[in-house]
Amino acid sequence: METTSCLLTWIIFSPLLFALLAFFTPSAFEGKLRTLTLVQTLVGAVLATVLYFNFDGNQAGPQMAHLVAWLPEWGINYLVSIDGISLPLIMLTAFVSPVAILGTWPAAGVELKKEKFFVIMLMFLQTGMYGTFLASDIFLFYFFWEVVLIPMFFLIGVWGGKERIYATVKFFLYTMVGSLLMLVAIFYMLKVSAETAGVANGSFYNLQSLHFAFDGSSFQTVLSSPQTWLFLAFALAFVIKVPMVPFHTWLPDAHVQAPTVGSVFLAAVLLKLGTYGLMRIAIPFFPEAAFYFREFFILMGVIGIIYGAFCALGQSDLKKLVAYSSVSHMGYIMVGLFAFQKIAFAGSLYQMINHGISAGGLFLIVGFLYERLHTRNLNEFGGLAKIVPVMAIAFMIMTLSSVALPGSNGFVGEFPILLGAFQVNPFYVLFAGTGVILGAVYALKAYQLVMLGPQTRSDLDHLHDLNAKEIIAMIILTIFVFGIGFFPKTFFGKSDVTLDQYSNSIINKVGPHGP
Amino acid sequence: MDLNSAFPLVALTQSEVLNLLPLFTISFGALFSLLAGTNKTKGRGYAFIMAFSFIVLAVIQGGYLIFSSDITLLGGTLTFSPFTKTLNLMIMFFALIGVVLTYGQDLKEGLLSEIYALILFATAGMILMVSTTHLLFMFIALEIMSLAVYVMVAMRRNSQFSAEAGLKYFILGGVASALFLYGTSLVFGALGSFELSNLELALRSTSQPSFIFFVGLGLILVAMLFKVGAFPFHGWLPDVYQGAATNVTAFMGAAVKFTAFIALAKIAQNLIFIETVPNLKWFQVFIWLSAAASMIYGNFVAISQNEIKRMLSFSTIAHTGYLLLGLYAMNQSEESGQSLVLYLFFYALSNLGAFAIISLFEEKNQKDLHIEQIAGLGMKHPVLGTLFTIFLLSMAGIPLTSGFIGKYGLFSSAVSAGEIPLVIIAVLTSVVSVYYYLRVIVYLFMKEGTEDTAIYQKLTGASVAAFLSAAATLHFGLFPKTIIHFIKMIAK
Repeated sequence: METTSCLLTWIIFSPLLFALLAFFTPSAFEGKLRTLTLVQTLVGAVLATVLYFNFDGNQAGPQMAHLVAWLPEWGINYLVSIDGISLPLIMLTAFVSPVAILGTWPAAGVELKKEKFFVIMLMFLQTGMYGTFLASDIFLFYFFWEVVLIPMFFLIGVWGGKERIYATVKFFLYTMVGSLLMLVAIFYMLKVSAETAGVANGSFYNLQSLHFAFDGSSFQTVLSSPQTWLFLAFALAFVIKVPMVPFHTWLPDAHVQAPTVGSVFLAAVLLKLGTYGLMRIAIPFFPEAAFYFREFFILMGVIGIIYGAFCALGQSDLKKLVAYSSVSHMGYIMVGLFAFQKIAFAGSLYQMINHGISAGGLFLIVGFLYERLHTRNLNEFGGLAKIVPVMAIAFMIMTLSSVALPGSNGFVGEFPILLGAFQVNPFYVLFAGTGVILGAVYALKAYQLVMLGPQTRSDLDHLHDLNAKEIIAMIILTIFVFGIGFFPKTFFGKSDVTLDQYSNSIINKVGPHGP
Repeated sequence: MDLNSAFPLVALTQSEVLNLLPLFTISFGALFSLLAGTNKTKGRGYAFIMAFSFIVLAVIQGGYLIFSSDITLLGGTLTFSPFTKTLNLMIMFFALIGVVLTYGQDLKEGLLSEIYALILFATAGMILMVSTTHLLFMFIALEIMSLAVYVMVAMRRNSQFSAEAGLKYFILGGVASALFLYGTSLVFGALGSFELSNLELALRSTSQPSFIFFVGLGLILVAMLFKVGAFPFHGWLPDVYQGAATNVTAFMGAAVKFTAFIALAKIAQNLIFIETVPNLKWFQVFIWLSAAASMIYGNFVAISQNEIKRMLSFSTIAHTGYLLLGLYAMNQSEESGQSLVLYLFFYALSNLGAFAIISLFEEKNQKDLHIEQIAGLGMKHPVLGTLFTIFLLSMAGIPLTSGFIGKYGLFSSAVSAGEIPLVIIAVLTSVVSVYYYLRVIVYLFMKEGTEDTAIYQKLTGASVAAFLSAAATLHFGLFPKTIIHFIKMIAK
């Protein structure tokens, strides 16, 4: 692994450069700040595309590493690199960002309060997200992981709905509890690293080579193994973010109160930080402990799928419905990751991307509706399809993607997960499969109540269909929905080698008592 | 060390004079500042200029002299090594910010021009306290520092709270000083020395020191825990922090705490963390308990405070708890000492900044800023709001700020020392602390202002001090390499 390229660093910090530019924008140009943000996200998308074409899909290890000594005394460096697991997530972030900006463009004449502060927070958030996905040093990972909280805290708290303060403080504290315990685990790992090699080294490749004692012969020995506690500390931090039942209660609040663009980033990217953490750190670093607890996490995943689906079914608030559907869909990723099957690992990664696209799209639709009708109550819509046909089509596509119709991207993710989990225990798949059906029920119910049926409102004369920017946003998402649905290989092909080697090494490690 | 051998005093050599230069500068600066302050109309301005220029001079001298050769004076009583000189430099830096912070605030609160001289006198006491290893000398230094600070606390002459705070601090502080002195005499009686290194040698040679040694040590420990404001000796702290003028509170929270903690660390390292004396284990357990209790008490009580200074004073108790955790870990690992110094330095910076911002919004003679009064201030004054947010995030230990680096270093060295249970208490209680720090940010940015909202007072000094502290907080939060490297190097 050699230091060859600064491209990753540019990807991480270009939003921050734009944020500086935005900060020094004189107030006369304040109206143009959105355009600046759009340019920034497009630059991000271009950089990500360059990255995609420079990425060597035949290489399993990390590529394009960039190393800068940061705190060598403590074994901490600025080390970023990319492999087949972070590549799709970077692409997701890079393409969801312009879509989110386009899809939430304020209508002419609407002046948002503190526009400058708002766009700076959006850019800051992107730096945090790129940084977390690209960090290859445990300290750097933690650093960005926490940094993401700050802009999100302000996005929800300043521009959110009525209960925004409650929601944002809850979001912040929930994440903090998990991440501080993770911090203690990081200290311990660095300590062991220092004891093994003489000097501490926090890079993922070094930490992965450490082995933490694990004795799975009885529950007592498991509890006294350091690996167990390290795994649980990391897993807690990550599953809160996912969120896994029963740590999900911050999510509906945060989503419902957040402004649309915040919800889109939250659903599309921030939740993936949790599953990415599990995939990048918790499982490969502590494979035996993860394997030992796999049934628990699968069970929680399945409960999440069904519980989330039922909650979604019972909602009359469209945004809350989408939020609970996220709980349900993220449950699949939990099942996939802890099935310890090659195909399920791959499916989990695909599902992360697919959920990002479909949930992001659905939140945008909710935003469109709310901006036009100022309500999210399902009973106050009805028969809109005739008036806003383009929006109806877009909504339909996102709904189908969300219910994992074959041919849409959702199917590409959920099917391998269920296939992998079936080989572990068909019983789980039976229940998880119920979730797919329930998913169709609540999603189609929502669609029906909003778009079909008789019109219940009389004030629909002024309702206008999607404008050009919104249509572009939905078209980009649609390309991904069907592109991934029909040609998954084209989109995920570059991850194959990495995923292959990733699952082999983990399955080998848990081999003696493994599947 | 036997003091007799140091008398009669010989003439100071050139290098000794050089090393004492910052101390001389500060002492003369204090005197000149007193003189300059006698001008009837412009006394405050002149006193400020005197104090400021001398402290800047002292900081430059101190920075320049860090790597000059080590010297010891008075037969080992005063040691100026790179390490103590760095600590002195940090203290002088706090004093510099303190002096700047006072400019403008003095007029608003009706503080006399002597406040500048008092800051410098206190600084001189702090330098002596950090540089000495002699218990009796430490007592004198402690008194030089404390007497100046008592007066500073009581200096808001028209405020009853200030008078109450001053009296409370003076009486309780006097008791603590007396305990320290009495404890010192008992330790001397038991082991026959005032010098910490000699005491350590004596302890290592006997595993069973006499009972009065333990009584004496206990008294010293209580006095020092009082000075740093650790549970259960924290009772004075919220009232004093609240009653004193905010610039004085800032200076106390930074410099006094820093000095007292360094002294406590020295005493603990030489007298308490001696593995050959089994009974000292009880003192270690006491520090452990005090650390845990300070964290829990400080953080949980801070939640329910609606007044900002009072809330920050309880959070100070919590931070004392984290610092005691670092101190306790020094028992096992040398590195904890370095992390302790770093944490103290970073915490002092954000503390100075936070109080500077508070003083910008306080009216004359106001006891404290109510949380409702800061509603919407962040939106109205975006720059000051952002600075305040930086300081609060730093105290909460969120990345980007130096507070995170400090906390990371402190907790990681404690984990290396094997103190995992205490670290877990620390991180869980710091989640609690995140709540009340966030609450302030919520009021700053997410609530609408009312007619009660505080009015911005134009104070040049406090604004400059806030900017300085914020720049340092962000700089050390993003690029901590140099300072960590430096501390590591000089600690050798």
